[in-house]
Amino acid sequence: MSNDRTKTIALALVVVLGLSVAVLLVRWTDALRPPPDPNAIDESLYLNGKTARRISLSFNGLVADWYWMRSLQYVGKKIINANENVAIDDLSKLNLKLLAPLLDTATTLDPEFLDPYEYAAIVLPAVDVQEAIRITQKGIDANPNAWRLYQHLGYIYWQQGNYRAASETYGRGAQIPGVPSWMEAMKAKMLADGGSRNTAREIYTRMFEQSADDQVKDMARRHVLLLDSLDQQDSIRKVLQAYRDRAGHCPTSWKELNLGEPLDPAGFPYVLRPGTCEVQLNPKTEVPAK
Amino acid sequence: MLYNLVLFVLLLTGASIFIGELSGGQERKVIVDLGLSAMLLFGVFIAIFVGVGLVYKEIERRTIYAVFSKPVGRGEFLVGKYLGLCLTLLVNVLVMAVGVSLALLYVSRGWDPLIPTIWPAVLLIYIELMLLTAIALLFSSFSSPALSALLTFMVFIIGHFSADLKSLAGSVGSTSARWLFTALYYVLPNLGNYSFITPAAHGRTPAPGFVFASGLYALVYIVVILAGATLVFNRRNFK
Repeated sequence: MSNDRTKTIALALVVVLGLSVAVLLVRWTDALRPPPDPNAIDESLYLNGKTARRISLSFNGLVADWYWMRSLQYVGKKIINANENVAIDDLSKLNLKLLAPLLDTATTLDPEFLDPYEYAAIVLPAVDVQEAIRITQKGIDANPNAWRLYQHLGYIYWQQGNYRAASETYGRGAQIPGVPSWMEAMKAKMLADGGSRNTAREIYTRMFEQSADDQVKDMARRHVLLLDSLDQQDSIRKVLQAYRDRAGHCPTSWKELNLGEPLDPAGFPYVLRPGTCEVQLNPKTEVPAK
Repeated sequence: MLYNLVLFVLLLTGASIFIGELSGGQERKVIVDLGLSAMLLFGVFIAIFVGVGLVYKEIERRTIYAVFSKPVGRGEFLVGKYLGLCLTLLVNVLVMAVGVSLALLYVSRGWDPLIPTIWPAVLLIYIELMLLTAIALLFSSFSSPALSALLTFMVFIIGHFSADLKSLAGSVGSTSARWLFTALYYVLPNLGNYSFITPAAHGRTPAPGFVFASGLYALVYIVVILAGATLVFNRRNFK
């Protein structure tokens, strides 16, 4: 009996100690593994969307989810490896070669899955604008009543400065029953005032209101902050110019203007560049520089 | 094995809540896709691996002699075995569907509009499992369990390629090949009719007429298969 008990304790100890050693070995090998090269060429996908759909039997929705999550992980990993703060709509430096095929496969597997189209419209233009247009248009073809896809396609055209195509796209979306009335207004605004800050503000405000994706919402919010800040900077420059006209030199501090420190839309004080009549954003602010 | 598979599916459904968190706000879709896919996949495993052993075990353990010493026909024996496994599958599918519904209730922190839309898809999955069980029983009436399992699994795969068989028949040049593919399209079960997982994850439900027609097709097919299995089984010598 006692012998059996000793054996049991010894075996339990082997299990516990063995697992502990295994954990230590994993940590050691992790430390020895060279870090991934952010410039390494990604291995191409083995399957295209049509083949993946064919062999997924009844599980195409599940496989689409997997490709979608893989797209998010792919971008997330690239951002982590790049080790710098990058905006979701400006990932051109990250060599996101596989993003378009991943999103294309996800949407071929499940054409009604709207989030990958939105992601393609927001993230892909900086990487491959033609693919962004193609995938978003594919979404419209598969979901002709999903007005948000027209909004996204219009956004891509607007970014490219193609206001006519943007207007036409918003116009097509505006014909869908039940669509918000601002889609029709955007159609006219694109033609009349496509390049203005007001149009940009309208686009990002609507994007913030409509998107369910936190990253997209945050990107839209930051763009609105930037646009508000640009308007503020213009007003401040006018005040600085008026001071120079009056005093013959630029102010060296806000005190000279008898004003308090002007705050940007995120609540951080603007920085006055002494002697230049120029104002710039506080480095600590969350308002993007561009 | 049966309990393990059901437990595994329930664990997977629970895990889908956490997996869904990686999906960028698509938790509900992932739960439905993963939950119903697991239900189908493990239902298929149960239908195949339990189905192919139904007759074989009785023969191997020689308990079939005790059964046939009573006034029970071979056809009745097969139908009884079939209905027994179908009932087991029904309980399993219901448990799994309740698991998916609970997972949706959990992530939505209350009522979720996807809950009622998954049930027609669950019904179609169950009909598909009933079909596969009949096919497994047919193969097991004349073949070994391993071969029966393999053949049933192949029918499951080919059954989901039915639409391709039809388009293949339309695109090949040879008349005999066209006839072959057309015949295969009509003879093999069209399991694509029962795939409604992906639309269910988008809140879409099949038209009642479609569910009725698919159910009727399955019923006719099951009757044909069980009749075929009885024909083979009637000629089998147990000595």
